[in-house]
Amino acid sequence: MSMKWLGVYARRALALAVVLAIWESLAANGYVDPFYMPPPSAIGAIVVDQFASGDIWPHLQATFGAALLGLALGILFGIFLGFVAALIPYLAELLEPVMAMLNAIPRVILAPLFIIWLGIGIGSKVALSFILVVVLTFFAVYNGIRDVDQRLVERVRTLGGGRLVLVREVYIPSVVAWVMGNLKVAVGFAFTGAVVGEFVAASRGLGYLLSYAQSTYNASLTMALIFLVMVFVLFLFTLAGMLERYLLRWKGS
Amino acid sequence: MLHIRELSLAFGKGAVPVLEGLSLDLQAGEFMSLIGPSGCGKSTLLRAITGLQKPSAGAVSLDVSPDEVAFLFQDDALLPWRSVRDNVALGLRNRGTRKAQARREADGWLAAVGLEGYGDRWPRQLSGGQRKRVAIAQCLALRPRVLLMDEPFASLDAIVRHYLTEDLMSWVERENLTVLMVTHDLEEAIALSDRVLLMGNGPRARIKGHFQVPLSRPRDLVGVRTEPAFRDLARDLWSALSEEVGPMSSTRPDLKVVNE
Ligand SMILES: Nc1ncnc2c1ncn2[C@@H]1O[C@H](COP(=O)(O)OP(=O)(O)O)[C@@H](O)[C@H]1O
Ligand SMILES: [Mg+2]
Repeated sequence: MSMKWLGVYARRALALAVVLAIWESLAANGYVDPFYMPPPSAIGAIVVDQFASGDIWPHLQATFGAALLGLALGILFGIFLGFVAALIPYLAELLEPVMAMLNAIPRVILAPLFIIWLGIGIGSKVALSFILVVVLTFFAVYNGIRDVDQRLVERVRTLGGGRLVLVREVYIPSVVAWVMGNLKVAVGFAFTGAVVGEFVAASRGLGYLLSYAQSTYNASLTMALIFLVMVFVLFLFTLAGMLERYLLRWKGS
Repeated sequence: MLHIRELSLAFGKGAVPVLEGLSLDLQAGEFMSLIGPSGCGKSTLLRAITGLQKPSAGAVSLDVSPDEVAFLFQDDALLPWRSVRDNVALGLRNRGTRKAQARREADGWLAAVGLEGYGDRWPRQLSGGQRKRVAIAQCLALRPRVLLMDEPFASLDAIVRHYLTEDLMSWVERENLTVLMVTHDLEEAIALSDRVLLMGNGPRARIKGHFQVPLSRPRDLVGVRTEPAFRDLARDLWSALSEEVGPMSSTRPDLKVVNE
C-alpha cells in the first residue's frame, strides 16, 4: 500500500474520531437527549456487553446462517436458471416475465407471505434472501450469456473447440465475471432479506433483536445492532472483494 | 487445394443472397488475395469456407482435412481470462494434446513469433501488434496447410505491419502454405500474392476478375513495389476496380490508391 493511501485512511480515521468526539461531548453536556441519541460510549458498551455475555451469538448465528444460505442458494439457482433460459428459448419465454415482475417489485413485500408459508423459523428468512439474490443473479447470467462476445465463440470454434470446450473456455468464465461483478450487491441483498425477515416475525436473529429494541424504545441497543450489521456486511464485502479480485485478476485494476 | 463451386449464401430465408454462384479454385501452395468493394461479402465468403456460416447452395471442398485450415481474424480478440500461453495451447488441447505438453509446445510457438517469455501474461498486457502475433501463433500451432486471413493487418500501424507481414511471409514460404487473404490494400495484395481476385459488388456478388502476378516468390517486399510489372498490374487492377465500384455506385471503394 502506498503512502498516498495511508494518508487517505489516516484522514478518514481522523474525521471519524472528530465526529464521534463531538457527538460524545454533545450528549455528555446535555445538548442531545441520550434517550433518543445515546453517546458512542453507551453504544460501544452495549456492543461489548452483548459479546461478553454471549447473548448475541445465537442471533448472529441465525442471521448469518439465513443470509449465507440464501446467498449460496440464490447464486446457484440464479446461475442455473440464467444458463437454462439462455440456452432454451422456450423456457426463457416462461421465465423471463416472471423474473422481470419479481425484479420490478420491492421483493421484501413477500416477507409476510413467506412467514405464512414457512413459519417463523429460518426457512422464511432463507426464502426472502434467496428471492432477493436469485433474481439479481438470474439477470446477470441470462443477459450475460446472450451477449457473450461472439468473436470469442468463433475463435474457439475455428481452433477446433466443440460445445464442451465453448462452455469451459467462454461461457463459464463469462458467467463468473458477471456473477462476481454482482457479488457485493448480492451480499447486501442476502443480509437485507435475512434481517427484514427476522424483523417481521422471528424468535432469533439480529432483525428480531432490532424489532425487540424498537418495541422497548431502546435507542442504544438499536444503534448498537445497526452498527453490528454494518460491520459484518462490510466484512463480507471485503471477502467478496478479495474473491472478485482473485477470480477476475485477468482484468487488472 | 480449395474449390468453391457455385456458392450462394443468404442471411435468412427469402433474403437477397449476399453471394450467388461464386466459384474459385485455390492451387496448393498458391497465395491468393481477394479484393473488392466494402460490404460485398469477402468476410462472409471466408466464414463460409471455415464453416462458421452455412451456404444456401453450392459446395466448398478442401483437399485437406478441416483440421489443417487456420483462420486469422481481422481483430485480435483473445480469451481475456486465459494466459497468452493457454490461448495458444487451446487449439492443441482441442486435438487431444495433454495440457503440459500443449503448454510446452505453445511456448515454442510463442518464441517462433518473437514473443519468448510472454506466456504468463494476460492478453490485456500486450500491445495490438503483440496480440496479433499471439493470434498468428494460435494459427501456426495447428500446423495448417491452408491459411485464411481476413484483413489481418488492417488495424496495425505501418511499421508493425511491415515486420509482421515479413515474418508471416517467411512462415508461408517455409511451410509452403496455401493462403487466401482478404485485404483492402491493393499494393499489399500484389506484393504478397501469386494471384489477385476481384470480387464484384454485392448483393449477389461473385468473382469478377483474376489477375496473375508475374513475379516469382519469395519476394523482397519493399523492392518489389518498384518493379515495372508491379506498377503495370497495380494500374490494371485499379482501373478494373474503379469500374466495378463505379461512379454510379453509391459504395465507395475502401481501397488505397497506388501512388503514381
Ligand atoms: N450476420 C449477418 N446477418 C445479416 N447480414 C449480414 C451478416 N453479416 C454480414 N451481412 C451482410 O453481408 C454483406 C457482406 O458483408 P461482409 O462479408 O462483412 O463484407 P466485406 O467483408 O466484403 O466488407 C453486407 O451487406 C452485410 O451487411
Ligand atoms: Mg470484412
